[in-house]
Amino acid sequence: MSFGSPFVTLPDFEYHKPKDLDEVLALLKEHGDEAKVMGGGVGLIAFMKERLMSPSHVIDLKEVKELKQVRRVAGKGLSIGAAVSMAELLEGGKLQSDHMVLREALAKVADPMIRSRATLVGNLCEAIPWVDSPPALMSLDAFVEIAGPDGKRSLPVSSFIRGPVDIDLSPTEIVTDVVIPEARGRTSAFEKFTGGSEFSLASVAVALSTDGRRRNAKVVFGAVNSIPARCPEAEQVIEGGVTPASVRKAAEVASEKVECLDDVLATAAYRKHLVRVITTKVLRRIMES
Amino acid sequence: MMEITVRVNGRDRRRQIKDNELLLDFLRERLEVRSVKAACWRGECGLCTVKLNGHLVKSCLVLAAEADGKEVKTVEGISSEHELAPIQKAFVSHGAAQCGFCTPAWILATHELLQVNPHPSGADLVEATSGLICRCGTYNQIREAVAEVSGVPAKRRQTKESLASA
Repeated sequence: MSFGSPFVTLPDFEYHKPKDLDEVLALLKEHGDEAKVMGGGVGLIAFMKERLMSPSHVIDLKEVKELKQVRRVAGKGLSIGAAVSMAELLEGGKLQSDHMVLREALAKVADPMIRSRATLVGNLCEAIPWVDSPPALMSLDAFVEIAGPDGKRSLPVSSFIRGPVDIDLSPTEIVTDVVIPEARGRTSAFEKFTGGSEFSLASVAVALSTDGRRRNAKVVFGAVNSIPARCPEAEQVIEGGVTPASVRKAAEVASEKVECLDDVLATAAYRKHLVRVITTKVLRRIMES
Repeated sequence: MMEITVRVNGRDRRRQIKDNELLLDFLRERLEVRSVKAACWRGECGLCTVKLNGHLVKSCLVLAAEADGKEVKTVEGISSEHELAPIQKAFVSHGAAQCGFCTPAWILATHELLQVNPHPSGADLVEATSGLICRCGTYNQIREAVAEVSGVPAKRRQTKESLASA
């Protein structure tokens, strides 16, 4: 029997399968710190095996009907529920051309078996520096909707992620949806470099939209530092137009300005080189689209 | 403890399980479905792949409790009692199994791919099986087995022989 050997078993917990959001909130209110919500579970189950997390209660969201929806809400944007898997999100044209950056980021996450379980919201809430959805969501100005004992609140993804593996969420709260606001004439794209592993050493998400005459650019880098970082200087360059010269310039500026970390996976200097390469790649694609 | 009922390869199986039990353990230890292999335990090798309600998943990352009332298919579920499925025959004729440990997962995954996409390109095959690892390196033979069933010729990677004859 494999039961009982270390690393492959899970800590003892009580499993809950609530049917609606009220039930989830009641369970969180009762168990709070002792509980973990499970979206797809690929992160939580792996963390529990390593004993990085040992909750006494696991609250499975897969049957919570309110959280399984992908909706276009007029005046607000595309709302994606916490229990929607990446595979479901990639199916059937739910992510349209104006969400291309997120489509591309999710399509390259791990493999199809993982994507049929992993959720976008779960990926975001892990807030691990090298996951790919936060930079993509930040480039789309996405925000999270949170429900808790004191009602609902929402905040931008950029302030929701406070640090590595640190999010603005209390133990009695839950992220119900992530919402992507509509933007006129938006083109966007995603690039990452993994160096043969499954995790990014550097990633970049770019979204370009037009507000009347003004171009609005977002350039967000992931995996180069402990949290995703915008590069306003590179944004400014491409807001003046995406041409071969501005692409070169933006890549140079980004490589110079984006702060990169030295760690066991790569040196800061190597990451700065990667920033230049992936910025050039992603902007060339936007230019040609 | 709780009681769950899971439809495994068309048969309802009811068992007592622990709340923190993995679907992988449930299948291997409680139901003795030993084609589902336990290897990396962390969702990387894909050898515990099963079909859960229509989606391929890695059963080391699924709780048994989640499968209550659901349908699970393993490699045993793709063939009839007396005849192997076409992809199984092709695996045999192309020698696409060496040590055989990963073979059930590969057969299940390629079988499912061929169900959804009867004529997969090389890229389709690579993408569909990107979550599986074969440590013996039978990838070329697997590609040929899939090609035989799909009728889409496999592009063989360069080998010493092909380089010598070029």
